[in-house]
Amino acid sequence: MNKTDYKDMWVFIERDGDSVLPVSLELCSETRRLCDASGEKLVAVIVGSISDGELQRVLDCGVDKVIHVTGTGYDYFNNDAYTNLFTVLCRKYRPTAVMVGGTINGRDFAPRFAARLGTGCTSDATELVWDPKTTDIEFVEPAVGGKMMAVITVPVARPQVGTIRPGTFKCVPCGARAHEVIEERIDFPVADIRTEILDFRADDLDESLNIADADVIVCVGNAIKGADALPRYRRLAERLGGKLACTRPVFDRGVLPFKLVIGQSGAVVKPKLLLSFGVSGAVNHVTGFSDADVVVAVNTDPEAAIFNYCTYGIVGDMDEVCEAMLAKLGE
Amino acid sequence: MLNILVCVKQVPDINLVKMDPVTGSLIRAGVPAILNPLDANALEAAVRVKEAHGGTVTVITMGPDMAKEALRECLAAGADRAVLLSDRAFANADTLATSYVIASAAKQLGEFDLIFCGKESLDGATGQMGSQLAERFGASQISSTAKIVEVDTAAHTITAERDLERGTEVLRAKYPCLLTVEKANFRPRIPNLKRWKASRTAPIAVYSAATIPGLDPAQIGDPGSPTKVPRTYPPEVGAKGSMIDEGSTEKNVDRLFERIADVL
Amino acid sequence: MTKYKKVTPEIAAQLQAIVGAKRFFAGDAVKDDFSHDEMPIYGKYYPEVVCEAESTEEVSAILRVCYENDIPVTPRGAGTGLVGGCVPLCGGVVLCTTRMNKILSYDMNNLVVHIQPGVLLCDLAADALTRGLMYPPDPGEKTATVGGNVSTNAGGMRAVKYGVTRDYVLAMTVVLPDGRVMELGKTVCKTSSGYSLLHLMIGSEGTLGVITELTLKLIPKPEMNVSLILPFADVETAIASVPQIKLANLDPQSIEFMERDIVDSSAAFTGNTIFPTVVDGKEAGAYILVTLVGDSEAELTAKMDRLGALAEQCGAYDTLVVWTDGLKKDVWAARSAFLTVIEADTKLLDEMDVVVPVDRIAEFLVYTRATGKAEGITIRNFGHAGDGNLHIYCCANDMALDEFKRRSKAVMDKCYAKCTEFGGQVSGEHAIGHAKKQYLVESVGETAFGLMQAIKQVFDPKGILNPGKVCTNVEEG
Repeated sequence: MNKTDYKDMWVFIERDGDSVLPVSLELCSETRRLCDASGEKLVAVIVGSISDGELQRVLDCGVDKVIHVTGTGYDYFNNDAYTNLFTVLCRKYRPTAVMVGGTINGRDFAPRFAARLGTGCTSDATELVWDPKTTDIEFVEPAVGGKMMAVITVPVARPQVGTIRPGTFKCVPCGARAHEVIEERIDFPVADIRTEILDFRADDLDESLNIADADVIVCVGNAIKGADALPRYRRLAERLGGKLACTRPVFDRGVLPFKLVIGQSGAVVKPKLLLSFGVSGAVNHVTGFSDADVVVAVNTDPEAAIFNYCTYGIVGDMDEVCEAMLAKLGE
Repeated sequence: MLNILVCVKQVPDINLVKMDPVTGSLIRAGVPAILNPLDANALEAAVRVKEAHGGTVTVITMGPDMAKEALRECLAAGADRAVLLSDRAFANADTLATSYVIASAAKQLGEFDLIFCGKESLDGATGQMGSQLAERFGASQISSTAKIVEVDTAAHTITAERDLERGTEVLRAKYPCLLTVEKANFRPRIPNLKRWKASRTAPIAVYSAATIPGLDPAQIGDPGSPTKVPRTYPPEVGAKGSMIDEGSTEKNVDRLFERIADVL
Repeated sequence: MTKYKKVTPEIAAQLQAIVGAKRFFAGDAVKDDFSHDEMPIYGKYYPEVVCEAESTEEVSAILRVCYENDIPVTPRGAGTGLVGGCVPLCGGVVLCTTRMNKILSYDMNNLVVHIQPGVLLCDLAADALTRGLMYPPDPGEKTATVGGNVSTNAGGMRAVKYGVTRDYVLAMTVVLPDGRVMELGKTVCKTSSGYSLLHLMIGSEGTLGVITELTLKLIPKPEMNVSLILPFADVETAIASVPQIKLANLDPQSIEFMERDIVDSSAAFTGNTIFPTVVDGKEAGAYILVTLVGDSEAELTAKMDRLGALAEQCGAYDTLVVWTDGLKKDVWAARSAFLTVIEADTKLLDEMDVVVPVDRIAEFLVYTRATGKAEGITIRNFGHAGDGNLHIYCCANDMALDEFKRRSKAVMDKCYAKCTEFGGQVSGEHAIGHAKKQYLVESVGETAFGLMQAIKQVFDPKGILNPGKVCTNVEEG
């Protein structure tokens, strides 16, 4: 395999109906940056018909080329058709990289087409760097529970496939530019799809579980004594017009649901104010709020790592400080 | 009779891994190796299917000799036979090379209708293994399985619920099917004494690279791994935040509220 | 009896000078926590002043000031007690030892550790383990201070095999009420050298002196352990197996019992459903949880075989093996949550910590349940089946406080009398505090109680130290 035969960086535009998922735009923006460094073209891969408005949002991220695919088998997400699609496209066009949003479905098929192509796939990078010496992308990610950072590369094989969690990068539209559109027709026989969706039950829209867009977040860490200690934090969040969230271990203990987990393996949040109680500060958690404006950390351990990621820190008992805040707020 | 395979991994309990503050390297000495927790859930899901529909559960792992302990745990918790793939040539494998070795070895063990594994491993946490195993097995795929709804042994299909971002999808898939399993509904059982004792002395088949026919040396271990880890480093520590210490909790909170007044 | 004086501004200034402004709290700055322990039913009593000491010298200086000025002093650790032992009934000074939390040194040749009393039990246990050593006492409340454990002679789950806190205290530094500092005990394992003031101090609940340093015995950590769950139809059958298990020469580290209702509550509250409720198609009504230790798998397997056979004879539905770290963590997390779960389920709560002979446990539980029922009080319980130490909770949700207190007292009066009749003890590990004094007199008798009072008088003629506890009476407030 000759790496120089492989050109362009692709982003799979994942959609819910017509609307483009934010993660796909975030990836376009970030991959645009890599393309600027490497001189590659940024290519958006769009499957099925798309409205002009949604297409424009993609183009606004500085896309050089669109591969627009039509054909049978893509009406709803299924691993068989999408794995085949990317295998066929990659073999035909030889991209140097393919970025896929780290949604549940993205993580379902991206490693599989990478395997079919015999190339490497990385997941959950929090930083992407193009290395001019090797012409490889460095996928940087927290490893071993966030205790270290690992640089992952795909030095020989192509394309370099990466799944990236929603919210990891910012979408900064840089404006549409002259772009080429390639129309592709690739049919996947519907009869060959081995899975069938029998039902989809949308979750009851519980707004309290949607922390990604909250302006104020009260986050409890593993120092929380148990479910019975939670009400005061809920009250504080309510009082401040915010939402309650937690770290991964709190979910693992069964104290709060997974949707409230902030971090690499949870939600990425960008609140104006994050109040963090009893959180140790493992990297895979703190990467989940790197764009928060003001972070207040409360921990009994003055050496806790969380104090390195906060704007203001208070050494003290989490329950006590929370109660004092409630008192201050007139509760 | 269902032929079920469960792919598991023995992992260091990363919660107990510490970082050497001087060298920045990980201190793994004395850290216990455990069965990847989500793989224990996968096994429980498989054993429940077996109990409901009949069949056998084979558990397979790639790793050093001590990984037998993880396999014995699976035997105690309901697996019928265990296979260890162990060879120095397998070392430094990424998910692609690992999936190749496991699928190649599994072909010697029979045709599997259902293949289970945990959604991700505690240490690597890439969550890629399931998809890549499914590819190697040529299997259909149900990832993030929260619940098994039905196994139709006549129609050769399995129906399961998947947890998606905005709801629950009910998916029916044809054999062979690989399912990656979530934690919540598959708490591993506690074995009874009889089963546990049997698991301690049960034979475990060990395959090396040489005993897996047709194994391509270029696709295993380090040579077969397209992803590399050229370097690791300690996480960057940010600048310490401004510490508030006014002598009492109440005074600290007063001062804090002055400082954050503009975002409140 | 001395009439206590109030902490005047002058005395407060002296005390503040000893510990410094950051560790001195008076008036409104005294946190609510210092007015109670973890059994709120016994009321709140606020100290006038809290001093957080950091050294023997500071403790001595504080006591000297208080002794001279007739100020009552209540020593306090983490405040996790259940009988009001650390509650300042007469106001005055709370002398808090939680900042004396340093593990000072290990003596690996003599297997001892030298610590300050404010070290938390969980911290000591974890630190010892990193050196391949074990601190055997294992009271349920892991965030208690070791000083508090010594003051109450706390026991815990491992008492069946290893004994209680008393068995691991070799020496201590104590400050007497007048401020004199005294060393008790030596770092050796035998003594036949006069009255043991050391052992008098252990379990004296801070009424005779304030412990400021401790030398504790450790043991090499056992190589391996395994827990086994034996599910039974009901608590009677479960408890009936305990004497047989003890006779079988398995040397178990712990034998706990738990009833189905509390296992269900724990599962509902924590989401941890580790205990199987249906075994072989049969509903489990109670469980025995046995932990065995050994140096090899072969040794443990032999013991498990014997236990398994015994369990079958005793009517256990099965013998479940908790072998992996993951399962152990879940099983013990469920067990450790019991008190929290009861507290969460219950608005009004009172507690008994009786010890009865092992072969009377079932009978005693049946009696308490019937007595509770007669008074309209819900009884919940769990405990250490291996040593007969039962934690019995009187619970109610929809009842006026006075009504609850009256009824639960009626239950307790009868139950403690029954306990005495059975040859039991008022408290196994939670101590007397001010809550159980009445039952102590009834249990030990006037003569013994009088001797206790006389001993208190010798150590603390002015009665300033932890007044109103164990054997002294005071006017509260």
